[in-house]
Amino acid sequence: MNVLQSREGPPANPNYDHRYDAIVVGAGLAGSAAAITMARDGLDVLLIERGSYPGAKNVFGGVMYTPTIRELVDIDSAPTERYVAERRYSMLTEEDEIAASVSIGDWHEPPHNDSFTVIRGDFDEWFAEQAVEEGATLITETTVTDLIREDGRIVGVETDRPDGAVRAPVVVLAEGGNSLVSESAGLKETDHREHIAVAVKEVLEFPGDSRKIIEDRFRLVDDDGAAYHYFGKGAVGDAFGGAFLYTNDDTISVGLAYRIEDAVTEKISPQDRLDEFKSHPAVAPIFRDARTVEYGAKTIPEGGASAMPELVHDGALLVGDTAGLVLNNGVHLEGTNMAVESGFHAGKAVVKAFGSKATPRPADAATAGTESAGQVRADGGVSNTTRPSVTVRASDLQSYPDSLEQSFVVENLEHYEWLINRVVEDKQLLFEDLPEALADAAAEYFTIDRQPKQTHGRLAKERIMHTVGGLRGAIKLGWRYRKMIR
Amino acid sequence: MPEVDVSEYSDVWVFIEEHAGEVAPVSWELLSEAQSLMENKDEDEELVALCIGENLDDVAEEALARGADRALVADDPVFEPYRADPYGKQFRHLVAERKPDVVLIGGTSTGRDFAGRVAVPTHAGLTADCTELGIDDEGHLEAGRPAFGGNVIATIKCENHRPQMATIRPGVFEATEPAEADGDVDHVEVVVTEDETVTEVETREVGETVDITDADRIVAVGGGIEGDLGPAEMLADALDAELAASRKAVDSGWVGHDRQVGQTGKSVRPELYVAVGISGAVQHLEGMNDSEVVVAINNDPNAPMFDHADYGIVGDLFEVCEELAEQIGNPEALQEVIA
Amino acid sequence: MTDNWTVLVGVKQVPDEDDVSIDPDTGTLNRAEAAAILNPPDKNALEAALRLKDEVGARVIAVTMGPPTATPVLELAVALGCDDGALISDYAFAGSDTWPTSLTLARAGEYFDADVFICGEETTDSSTGQVPPGIAAHLDWAQLTYVEELEPRPEDDQLAAVRDVEGGWERVVADLPVVVAVGYGENQPRPSGLHRKIYAENEFEPIELDAEELGIDADEVGLDASPTQVGGMDTASPVEREQELLDSVDDLAATLHKQEVV
Repeated sequence: MNVLQSREGPPANPNYDHRYDAIVVGAGLAGSAAAITMARDGLDVLLIERGSYPGAKNVFGGVMYTPTIRELVDIDSAPTERYVAERRYSMLTEEDEIAASVSIGDWHEPPHNDSFTVIRGDFDEWFAEQAVEEGATLITETTVTDLIREDGRIVGVETDRPDGAVRAPVVVLAEGGNSLVSESAGLKETDHREHIAVAVKEVLEFPGDSRKIIEDRFRLVDDDGAAYHYFGKGAVGDAFGGAFLYTNDDTISVGLAYRIEDAVTEKISPQDRLDEFKSHPAVAPIFRDARTVEYGAKTIPEGGASAMPELVHDGALLVGDTAGLVLNNGVHLEGTNMAVESGFHAGKAVVKAFGSKATPRPADAATAGTESAGQVRADGGVSNTTRPSVTVRASDLQSYPDSLEQSFVVENLEHYEWLINRVVEDKQLLFEDLPEALADAAAEYFTIDRQPKQTHGRLAKERIMHTVGGLRGAIKLGWRYRKMIR
Repeated sequence: MPEVDVSEYSDVWVFIEEHAGEVAPVSWELLSEAQSLMENKDEDEELVALCIGENLDDVAEEALARGADRALVADDPVFEPYRADPYGKQFRHLVAERKPDVVLIGGTSTGRDFAGRVAVPTHAGLTADCTELGIDDEGHLEAGRPAFGGNVIATIKCENHRPQMATIRPGVFEATEPAEADGDVDHVEVVVTEDETVTEVETREVGETVDITDADRIVAVGGGIEGDLGPAEMLADALDAELAASRKAVDSGWVGHDRQVGQTGKSVRPELYVAVGISGAVQHLEGMNDSEVVVAINNDPNAPMFDHADYGIVGDLFEVCEELAEQIGNPEALQEVIA
Repeated sequence: MTDNWTVLVGVKQVPDEDDVSIDPDTGTLNRAEAAAILNPPDKNALEAALRLKDEVGARVIAVTMGPPTATPVLELAVALGCDDGALISDYAFAGSDTWPTSLTLARAGEYFDADVFICGEETTDSSTGQVPPGIAAHLDWAQLTYVEELEPRPEDDQLAAVRDVEGGWERVVADLPVVVAVGYGENQPRPSGLHRKIYAENEFEPIELDAEELGIDADEVGLDASPTQVGGMDTASPVEREQELLDSVDDLAATLHKQEVV
């Protein structure tokens, strides 16, 4: 009589073991990049996210570098806020500022130097949607708690839900900086404390026409945006790190990132540190009347090539922050493009591994030629069919670390590690003594009184030379950092 | 849908809610408010108190003393204790037979339980959880209720259907004291028999019912107390205050629903209202806005409650409550502080 | 009664109250951008229904009235363990108040030959709490509202409930069929299982029913069949308060004393 009699409703016990080729843990940039790459090449992908939507756990934002993303998706449809038209680098002492601004004419033209400000909550959600468009299955509000091992191989994941185990030949771990699953499964060592930075961020808006106020204060037109970076005592005190300030569409993002060891020894909370920065005389006018609409804090692995764990295992790969692939300490904030790049290479390696396995799959056979492979999942009739299980060994995935090695990622990391070691050694000089000396020198040089200008110039020069250890010291310093400007 | 001849309907009815001889205070509040509504009704219209229950002679008498022109009494054991189906059936029968223009019911769990059972079969217009009542120029009932989280008052009308029914939040209106009873008591035919009922009350455990609506002082708790009532109770004791709660605390099971302030609870207007760990959602605020002095105690300095309080203290709820209770409970210490 | 009970659960998609932002400049509410979620009290209704399934093997079907974009609430219901879900959708329903809404759901109760129709206490976007009694009235079924716990008695074709009453509780036994409104927060909703969740969100297609299939004439529902209309909206005026933040309990005690409230 009613529709129930003629309808085959939901199965009593749906089962998705061995229904997917790969499970991706975490729908952040690295996870979604891997999912897009694999789904596009016809693999069935299950993307598991613990937040209520991808990006929900990420209040971070900032500048997104998009050369790799551009290859994966239509970047023009992405929720970017503004393109970066001005970069400003600034040394702050407790009271003074010395700054350099870079604004290149080309940046105003597409592709805008592939640098856009984004709000990660929005961007990550959109990026994961692109994976779903390619045919991946996304489920949210589900936390992966452990990996399933059989005969030493990883064969699936355990989640916090009832009936919560699901099996697939490959697991891509993209769980972010707090990589608890990878660590507890022994795929990487617990992050050593000095390799971790703490970051806090606020999103601010202005009363009234917030967009216009931002455009006026930062001298922006249309979709122009600004990215300001601050270093020195006035930014992060004695800690090793920096502060940043980005313009979004109608809000601004401000925050800082510094080493956790400094946060522990310094006894000032990151939030108080941020408040201190915001009240620095050189930046306070920017924030006048602004109110906080969002606040967040997180820890990030600071990375470096030697902080990288083994990237491939039997049945699993590590990508993004989980793999220590970040450059993130306030000096460089380039975790995002490395995350995307690593997800992309990992995805390619999985596709390659499956290509060599060449196992015919029943679902594919059923839909071959009529639908794109990515939509296999859409036909409801195959709920309980499983496919022959495939074994993917670490050696099958070796092309991931190999191609990563050749990409800019590892080169950047090595370069970065070198830089960090130098900078840490010279921290006192670079972030405290030199900025102070520069500020004093500038003050001296620009002093308006009845002394001849030459006198001020000579005194300013003396002040700087004294700080760096005379002419010999200045030459040594220049030599030490020559690589930076190569 | 059948057209209704609205002119056939007249009189204002107030449902007198009675449980085992106790009348719910909201019934008297409504009777009092209905008298002002009568000023805008035709002169020949009556204010009718509808009493359903068992042994209602005293209740009917008091209704007349509190301003009803007439008491309709359906008196039968089938109505005790309250059940939705016999109440609804009897009420429906009377509405169909006598065609009241306006029917006002207290927004208690009983009133909210059976109002829909009356309104639906008669295709009456029913407005729930009202906080304002009025009669417009054309004689239609204007029932105001908080909408969109209490930020606006929506005025609901029912122009083409009768009766115009409303459930009204307890504590919104003030009851007047009884005077000399003047009016008629009509015992009506009881149209329900026990055989026809489809429900049976097996057990009923009702303690002393509290009425927070006429308390002079209230200590109200919210989600911030995290289930520990001790310090708030200590403060309530010291202040000789009634304990009340936000919806959060009631839904969490820490405090009974009869002590809920705000939307789906009660409206209160004490001299002193102390909000302990209440964030200050609009739904709560519109239940206590008429309080004279409001004190907010919260450990979250950003709690909206502080914007709606006269005095606020940011601090550990438990410490503040205990300290304040000690100072108030100890007159000497208090004198010292004042000095 | 033969066979297992058929239990209907009425669910609704509402704007997330926690996501409704207040514009600090104008003080107006922005509901349009709020995320659409399952009406929170409906979680308790679903849990109560699934417990009946656990206890007496009932077949549980979730129903919702709304546009196709409301399907996610049915997906959630199926993920939690409901056996099926039905979307009742028709342009004729637009503008319905509690009267036509409860009529439509009542007809769904008849259509599925339900023994028990479970609802949440109220919806957070209209909070009248009148739909469950309305359904019972349309069908002339027994009703159990403000229910804390259900106690099925299939051998007697009865459903007992412990329900909240002013100042206490009572146990009421109702003959089937019956409408139930579960008190908000009265039970602890279960999480959905992983595989059911994957199924529900990716493969499940709800039953679709329109007014005609439920035997409802267009003039029985919608705006014209709704007895009540919104006559006007007034902004509630905020009460002026001192808003004085005090430093210590001593200050507070002294101030309250000066105000002669203690």
